[in-house]
Amino acid sequence: MGSLTAFVIYAVALYLGYTSVGIIPVAVGISLISVWGSFYNSDKIVLTMTGAKVIDHDTAPQLFNLVHEITIASGMPMPKVAIVEDDAPNAFATGRDPEHAVIAFTTGILRVMDREQLQGVAAHELAHVANRDTLVSAVAATTAGAIALMSDFLLRISLFGGGRRDSNGSNPFVLIAALVAAILAPIAAVLLKAAISRKRESLADATAVAFTRNPTGLRRALETLAADSTVVHQKSNAVAHLWIESPLDSKMTSRLFATHPAIEERIANLRALEQTGPLNESA
Amino acid sequence: MTGIYVILGVVALLVVIGIVQYNKLVRLNVAVDEGFAQIEVQLQRRGDLIPNLVETVKGYASHEKETFEKVVQARAQATAAQGVAAVAEADGMLTQALRGLLAVAEAYPDLKASANFLSLQEELSGTENKVGFARQYYNDTVRALNESIVSIPGKFFAGPAKVVERDFYVVDDPGKRAVPNVSFN
Repeated sequence: MGSLTAFVIYAVALYLGYTSVGIIPVAVGISLISVWGSFYNSDKIVLTMTGAKVIDHDTAPQLFNLVHEITIASGMPMPKVAIVEDDAPNAFATGRDPEHAVIAFTTGILRVMDREQLQGVAAHELAHVANRDTLVSAVAATTAGAIALMSDFLLRISLFGGGRRDSNGSNPFVLIAALVAAILAPIAAVLLKAAISRKRESLADATAVAFTRNPTGLRRALETLAADSTVVHQKSNAVAHLWIESPLDSKMTSRLFATHPAIEERIANLRALEQTGPLNESA
Repeated sequence: MTGIYVILGVVALLVVIGIVQYNKLVRLNVAVDEGFAQIEVQLQRRGDLIPNLVETVKGYASHEKETFEKVVQARAQATAAQGVAAVAEADGMLTQALRGLLAVAEAYPDLKASANFLSLQEELSGTENKVGFARQYYNDTVRALNESIVSIPGKFFAGPAKVVERDFYVVDDPGKRAVPNVSFN
């Protein structure tokens, strides 16, 4: 979101004739401010974007209890719990730090899953909060934006000349290199973002098991998600990485660009944990 | 002249290490206290649910006197318990008694279907899980504290920080210890 702002400002500046290099720091600065703003208010923005309604203990006692159980297991503060009206089973976590976290579940997931499964899901989502994944994704987005900005800058320098304009035109090799960079860099940035997001999903699974000491619940929850074919109605790319199961149709996007690891892979990992024996025999 | 600087530097380094270790031990000690307080909060909450549960079950199964008495007795003991070991023991007994009560409920379909019982059952199993997780968290904090106290350099600072090794919360639950019955039919 921040990089987009920077691009718009940069484009406007170019249009107005400010081709000087001096505009770059200004654009980067403004984009950083906007990233900070969206990071600081991420809980409210995401709640509005997904239409999640915050609930309390009396509205949904079981769900509230489940989340409370995990906060006790992890020693974390109680997050806000929200419900999204959507038939597709899914859940997500957001918020810049544990004190401002929100965990949301769709009405679909509450309908199809039993207590043990939901506990696994709640643990996975709280693990995202504990691992500061919102911070990580904000950093990833900024980095991706910066890479795109740099490649664009490089292209402009070589196209319009960076000073030695009046010698004998721009060097064709520099131009080609810049063109290639301009095309490849944004793709690389998206790949980077997806890779980071996938790593965080697997890490969140592991952290969730550390909280509950029960890989079975999460494994069974993922199996239910894998068997389910309904997809969350809002296919917004912006919040895709938040959900426990990717809301974007996985067949449309290749593995490399996927924000989530293959669900079968995650199930296999949890199964391996189950086989290593009883984890809950702590002292 | 350089000799003085070296000595000053070493002393400053030692002071910094000392402060860091001292603070770490104090922090871990507070975490253990918090962990135990959380167990007590959840046990208290479970205790508060019991009269309601007993009344509800009584409405449908008034002649199961023995089971009710066991629960009430175990609850009284749990309320009176002090210290980690005693609380853990009373907790285990109450868990047993409650299991008996819920087993009684199984025999009464009307009771099992009543909304009041269902919501009580959810609260009870939720609290039961919370007690379990609070116990797990407490034991994790105790392990972290005890490890720092017995290992170097924490060993040297445990005395000044007035921090001692703490007891693990061990539940003596016969139900959990029992060897599962295996039959080869």
